[in-house]
Amino acid sequence: MSTAVKNQVRVCLLSVKYNIMREMVNPVTFVTNILFMMLNNATILVQWFILFRLRGEIGGYTMKDVMLLWGLTASSFGLSKVLFARAFSLPELIISGKLDSYLVQPKNVCLSMLTSATSTASIGDFLYGLVLMAFSGFSMGRLVLFLLFTVTGAVIFVAFTLLLGSLSFWFVRAEMAGGQIVSGMISFMTYPDGIFQGVSRYLLYFLIPVGMAVWKPVHIMTAFSGNADNGMSVGAAGQSLQSGLAALLTVAGYAIALMSIAVFIFYRGLRRYSSSSLMEARM
Amino acid sequence: MRKYVKKTSVHETQRYVCGGLRRRPGRKYRVIYQSVLLENLQYAANLAMGFFSYFVFIYIFIRLWNYMYQAPGELIAGYAKEQMIWYVMMTEMIWFGSDSGALTRQVITDIRGGNIAYMMNKPYHYTLYILTKYTGEWSIRLPMYALLATVIGTCMVGAIPGFRIAALPVMILCVVLGITINAVFKICISLFSFRIEDATPFLWLYDKLLLVVGTVFPIEIFPVALQPFFKLTPIYTVCYGPAKLVVDFSAGKCIEILSAQILYLAAGCGLMFWIYGKGVRKLYVNGG
Repeated sequence: MSTAVKNQVRVCLLSVKYNIMREMVNPVTFVTNILFMMLNNATILVQWFILFRLRGEIGGYTMKDVMLLWGLTASSFGLSKVLFARAFSLPELIISGKLDSYLVQPKNVCLSMLTSATSTASIGDFLYGLVLMAFSGFSMGRLVLFLLFTVTGAVIFVAFTLLLGSLSFWFVRAEMAGGQIVSGMISFMTYPDGIFQGVSRYLLYFLIPVGMAVWKPVHIMTAFSGNADNGMSVGAAGQSLQSGLAALLTVAGYAIALMSIAVFIFYRGLRRYSSSSLMEARM
Repeated sequence: MRKYVKKTSVHETQRYVCGGLRRRPGRKYRVIYQSVLLENLQYAANLAMGFFSYFVFIYIFIRLWNYMYQAPGELIAGYAKEQMIWYVMMTEMIWFGSDSGALTRQVITDIRGGNIAYMMNKPYHYTLYILTKYTGEWSIRLPMYALLATVIGTCMVGAIPGFRIAALPVMILCVVLGITINAVFKICISLFSFRIEDATPFLWLYDKLLLVVGTVFPIEIFPVALQPFFKLTPIYTVCYGPAKLVVDFSAGKCIEILSAQILYLAAGCGLMFWIYGKGVRKLYVNGG
């Protein structure tokens, strides 16, 4: 069993590696895409500098908190698109009947489909997130937490995209609706949760997983930094660590649960899949 | 009885099409415009799917500006809360309503893939063909978003304070000119693909600058030292100008914005033809 899992993971990593190598055939375009993506993301900071010139805090966030929020969103999204970019084009594969090449391989269909494409520009997103995190206040503990939440955020992103994409097995129009919801989710992620109140806030925590992907992790990280800066007593620090760990496990548990549901729906939908008899080779 | 059908040779048809169109150069672009318009009319329902993203953006900005304006009647950079939200709604309406795959992808794909070699021999100017096709696309999309913006704005924000219905034709003209200027500049950037392999990153940067600096805030909100600089960029003619006229119309501002747009359009078209002319001279076709 463990050998099978190891082999599967090895194949996936190789797939990602070769995807990146293929993109690196033209090194100038490869580097330009990454750098421009970072520059492209950086322009958004202008908006926040202007808003914070008008008010000192927005929705309970300071400029540094917003940088952390942006950093985590960019890194999570970047990681999900570097490793599992195909999740974002799943509806197209289903509608045009191009899943055949994954079905005939002696590998996990879902995983090999997800890792079959890489968006190189998203490496820029991932790196940009790390840079922003460093500017928002660097410490080793914070970096470890940031990387952990980047992974959980990426899993939530992919799971939600996979779940919505899998609806195309049943509804053709789900392709467009899913894309809209995912882009809407990214839009919400880059604004402080304090500006949303009532039903919308509830929906963003439980229906569209924005809260669990970035808002809650940012709260945990800012609380962690605040406690570290205030120089707490050993007892209080232990209690804080315990509550932080509980929150971390909640986010990780949520990510795993959402991914399990998404994979379950994908395989349920796969039973309805019909090929377009398209001859296609996957190298 | 056999019906008499007048047969026309291919040569004759070609002579009619090319010769006829050459005599009336605007007609061929009208035909392209009409065909794209009819094609897009069939997919009008699909376009409505994009309404969700627009609604999300507007909802976020309504929440954001509600948070930023703490006291009723407060002014930020000379704008009341309703004006500020309507400003964002107008700029986002232009942004979503004029978003087009044809413009952002086709030029780059044509140049990279070599399709340009076939298209440059057709009896039209390639850049004008792209511009016409794009106009056909947004002619369906923009009115739909305008209607949506009006409904959302009226229900969630209220009427625009001091809106002048009589100035609506000028506002529409200003929006159309803004979209065309944006398209011309995007084509110019896409044409860089003649020199570098992929001009997409430059388009991202241009789009993001326009989106962040132009659509979210009016120019007056930026530091005074930066305002003259922004007035020289496409932000002034593409986003700020049309939205400003809708939320805070004045005859003086209208003349100033329209003059700037005409100047920008003339300069942009000149630049577009020049880059295209230079680019096609450097074109290498590998055969096939």
